Amino acid sequence: MKKVAITLNINNRDVDMLVEPRKLLSDAIREDARLTGTHVGCEHGVCGACTVLVDGKPQRSCLTFAVQTQGKAITTIEAVKGNNDGYSALQQALHEEHGLQCGFCTPGIIVTFEAYLKENTNPTEDEIRDVLSGNLCRCTGYQNIIRAIQKAAAVMRGETPGAAK
Amino acid sequence: MEHTKGKNDFTALGKRMPRTEDHRLLTGHGRYIDDIDVPGALHACFIRSPYAHASILSINSTEAEDMPGVIGIFTGKDLAEWTTSLRMAPSIEGVKPVEMTTLPIDKVRFHGDLVACIVATDRYIAEDALELVEVDYEPLDPVTNMFKAQDAGSALVDETLDTNLVSHQTFATPDVEKVMAGTDRMIETNFSEHRQTHLPIETRGIIAEWDAGREHLRIHVGTQAAHPYRTAIAGRMKLSESQVTVISPDVGGGFGQKIALYREELTVAALARHLKCAVRWREDRFENLLAASHAREDWVRTRAAVDENGKLKALSLEIVEDFGGYCFYPANYLARVIAMILSGPYKLDHYAFDVKVVLTNKCGNGPMRAPMAITSWIMEGTMDAIARDLNLDPVDVRRINMIREDEFPYQMASGETLEDINPFETMEKGLSIIGYEELRSAQAADRERGIYRGIGICNVVESTTYGSKFYKSAGIPGSGHESAWVKIEPSGAVRGAVGISATGQGYETAFAQAIAEGLGVDPLEVKIEIGNTDIAPYGMGSRGARGGTAGGGTAYLAGLEAQKKVLAIAAKMLALNTADQLCMKEGKVWRCIKDDWTETELTLADIARTAYLDPTKLPDGMEPGLEVHKAYDPPPMTYSNSSHFCQVSVNINTGEVTFDRYLIVENCGTVINPLIVEGQQHGATIMGISGTLFEHVVYDENGQNLTGSLADYLIPTAADVPELEIVHMHTPNKRTPAGIKGMAEGGVMGAIGAVSNAVSDALAPFGITIDKHPITPDALRALLRNKS
Amino acid sequence: MKPAKFTYHTPDSLEAAFQLLGEYGDEAKIIAGGQSLIPVMNLRLAQPEHLIDINAINGLSQIREEGDIITIGALSRHREIETSALLKERLPLLPEAAMRIGHLAIRNRGTIGGSLSNADPAAEWSLMAFLMDADIEITSARGTRMADITDFIQSVYTSDLSADEILTAVKFPPIAPGEGWAVCRISRRAGDFAIVSVATTICLDTSGAIENLRLCIGGMDVTPVRISHVEHAAVGQMPNEAWIKSAAEVASGIGSPESDMHASAEYRREMAAHLTAEALREALKRCGGGA
Repeated sequence: MKKVAITLNINNRDVDMLVEPRKLLSDAIREDARLTGTHVGCEHGVCGACTVLVDGKPQRSCLTFAVQTQGKAITTIEAVKGNNDGYSALQQALHEEHGLQCGFCTPGIIVTFEAYLKENTNPTEDEIRDVLSGNLCRCTGYQNIIRAIQKAAAVMRGETPGAAK
Repeated sequence: MEHTKGKNDFTALGKRMPRTEDHRLLTGHGRYIDDIDVPGALHACFIRSPYAHASILSINSTEAEDMPGVIGIFTGKDLAEWTTSLRMAPSIEGVKPVEMTTLPIDKVRFHGDLVACIVATDRYIAEDALELVEVDYEPLDPVTNMFKAQDAGSALVDETLDTNLVSHQTFATPDVEKVMAGTDRMIETNFSEHRQTHLPIETRGIIAEWDAGREHLRIHVGTQAAHPYRTAIAGRMKLSESQVTVISPDVGGGFGQKIALYREELTVAALARHLKCAVRWREDRFENLLAASHAREDWVRTRAAVDENGKLKALSLEIVEDFGGYCFYPANYLARVIAMILSGPYKLDHYAFDVKVVLTNKCGNGPMRAPMAITSWIMEGTMDAIARDLNLDPVDVRRINMIREDEFPYQMASGETLEDINPFETMEKGLSIIGYEELRSAQAADRERGIYRGIGICNVVESTTYGSKFYKSAGIPGSGHESAWVKIEPSGAVRGAVGISATGQGYETAFAQAIAEGLGVDPLEVKIEIGNTDIAPYGMGSRGARGGTAGGGTAYLAGLEAQKKVLAIAAKMLALNTADQLCMKEGKVWRCIKDDWTETELTLADIARTAYLDPTKLPDGMEPGLEVHKAYDPPPMTYSNSSHFCQVSVNINTGEVTFDRYLIVENCGTVINPLIVEGQQHGATIMGISGTLFEHVVYDENGQNLTGSLADYLIPTAADVPELEIVHMHTPNKRTPAGIKGMAEGGVMGAIGAVSNAVSDALAPFGITIDKHPITPDALRALLRNKS
Repeated sequence: MKPAKFTYHTPDSLEAAFQLLGEYGDEAKIIAGGQSLIPVMNLRLAQPEHLIDINAINGLSQIREEGDIITIGALSRHREIETSALLKERLPLLPEAAMRIGHLAIRNRGTIGGSLSNADPAAEWSLMAFLMDADIEITSARGTRMADITDFIQSVYTSDLSADEILTAVKFPPIAPGEGWAVCRISRRAGDFAIVSVATTICLDTSGAIENLRLCIGGMDVTPVRISHVEHAAVGQMPNEAWIKSAAEVASGIGSPESDMHASAEYRREMAAHLTAEALREALKRCGGGA
């Protein structure tokens, strides 16, 4: 069971690596591509910290083998940004609304909603809670994350969100 | 306490500023343990016991050791040569001394206990090797029930003791028995709190690097208390503290789980020294749930002697706590505090407690965010029980018993003193906001229609900052002091450090605000360096809710001290005899002439340049440089208070509990950063709700842990939690720096009591009272089924 | 929590996959979405020596209707089913059920074929397949065969799939215009497996009497169970509250539910009754083309 040479396209960059087939995508991204913003919280698909985009869709990188993602476009937190390399609307809103504390779950939440808010530009609070239910956070109680997502959605729609309470 | 300004004059304190640490965390550039690249580091992984209680007869690792990539497999005997045991033997009456080796040698004490450590070039290979190690066990009787554990014939968790009752402490005020005997009404109430675990989303982890040339150990570890951790690890490896550096980088949550020096971490550090290289370990989630640290398994009974108006005359408390298999803390550490602060906002003259702590074959317990949380449920549940028994409104029972404004400072029966809190005011404010009377009328009407809604109230007195005097009087080892330094570099750049380590609380921002307030600069100009024992001064770490008062307070005092020195230099430079009429504001020196403050030409940079590079211009006798160190020991205890109001609906068909409203009225004194404080209150309250409704470490009768995955150990998702409303009624503490009190645990306390009482209230028509957590749909249906 | 070693294969055709299956037999495991398989591999509860990844095989992920049969390819992701316009129109129970599977990131990867092959009695697709009498298309080097779902899923994690076979498609009948339907479940948290789940379809005749009823319950036995005697007896009945209550009572007696950490057997029985009544009421509201 030798290592195999694979090329993963991560954040629009081809990364060559030599991995065992059993290497999880999460480990390959972190150890072989040296992109450590994607975190590993449970390795059984529940916590959502390791979520990345595969061809634009949120997926658990701990529930995928690296060898399975050749030829696909992988996007991680390191590629998320706004204009002029500043924050995206979502990053900015999470910052302003204090939507993160220890920050360990944050990258998984950001990539999930970067994708989701493109698909659903005007989600209800219930829809946000439902999608966010795939990312466990132990610090915030979720309230400020939800508020930030609502604010980011408004900004992305071109509206001026109300000032934070 | 020293104030240079009135409380309303704060500019940096109280500022609702977003956190400076966010940037790296939002962009994927945080540095948690596993993000730190150490070339050539070896990977450790642990063999763990499948049994709750068993003798280790033999370990055969020959085949595993022959695997390519495996460096070695190390057992308890190996580690005993390289490290000392942990002896927990405080000279406290009623607490038995215990000792544990770094890895078990002869027997294991819980499912998931350590057996041996594998070191390999890669974690995948280490886990391959794990499957080839053969361990021969002889299973022993598992001790899984804290009551049966006290039976004479019970198997012993620790054979060096003659009993599993590892701690037993009692207390009684002189007349308590007499008052109890002379009271007509005695109301007995039970509370059973289940086993939980902290579940930081980043599990434990360590990287240990041994520099064989310099004989120095560098450790990266997620810890809440870097300096005490260094003291512990140096001692147990027989190193000097000067040979050890502990760095706690970004940490993905702690909640009390990352205080102790754990056996896995010590093993990894000892192996780094033995192998003369770097060794790292990342705990996986299975290990974290089974074997990191557990918390809160208590059975409690109160007996309240009351008069016909519900006035509390005397109270006795019994606690039995299941502490698990090992003592990483003195066994009385958690339960004793519950007993000492129990009465909270209520007047109580006659009080007795009996606190038993028992060893069982489960994972060892430790403090989890609000280790004393059950106090609120106990007291508020007792208040509701009194109301039920006497057919009074639960609010009236609280009113008649509550300590009023003019009665503070109030000495509790346990001897502790409450001051600068306003529980009556927060309760009344909350009652008026929720419209208590209207809710009661609506509740009655709903019940007619078969809708069961309940209102739960919980008044919290949160012990926040434990000063050294408290530890002393409570018979718990430890210091409550904290220390900080401020260094102003020659350019005027301001650096600050506090000896407390962060696990997500926003200390870098908050401490910058505190130092900025003391020094008179913009908070964004202050760079905070924490979590590194080579840089930060020795502090006691992040525990309780001491970050605000001990951490922020000490930082503020250090800032004030730095300002004093800056102004002394400024006075000399301005050719004034005294600095009395000078102050720092926004990094500039201001001068008061006839009650009129004006800006001078001097900036902090001018003064710093002088202090370092032109010291002949300094006041006579002043040392060059601009560095200040400050240590501070807070009062024995500081208290914050809050009132939680929870309205729930119980679906009597499914047993599901849903939230209609959740309001918190709170007083945590001077707030360093409202954004951060509210975030802490959200997190704490949801953690309390989570513990009450969802979380549960389940052991079967054989001591097998059934909750080894996040599909079985449940914490709520965003779809399962209520929106919280928070109303502030802050009054400063008169004895702490800037009036800071602290918070961050009270939310857990409030939620446990408010949710339990709300569910009991909803189900009052069925005669159901919640006396056991977690309140699951299954458990509620069982209660309803038995009543129908 | 790292998986054991395996050899990885990516056949690009069914024929190539069959050849691999023939070669490695029991030592091989098919991986589709992997959302159930990889967690147990990470825990080393499953250690296949050969992993055959069928994601590169074309033609296994279509969702199409032909002659009143809706065929869903085995590699269709839960999320594709959730968002399928065809299914929303012709078989809306499926998108509704899909929404309740795990979380968005899981639904983007997990497949219907993988879920059914896994034969988890609590899975939404098992419930849907039993409710609708789905036919399972199974292909091997020996050819293609169809299996009735009740023959296919035999017990907990036990299916009729031989070591050389691959589940390639699931065939559902659409519901009739005006047919009412509902999917009700109870779980501890959003996204968790259901403790008990009930699905139903109801057709009423012009008089308002029941013409056809399907009623299926999960979480009560080793597979989902169709409550056939309620279904048969319902024909011609007026669907009033009394009838709903009697159906619910029957539902509570179904199967032999077990007690576990999340729910006792008694609780499951109570939820069976409760959810059955809820589902029937909800389905009746939808009868006649209502929302």
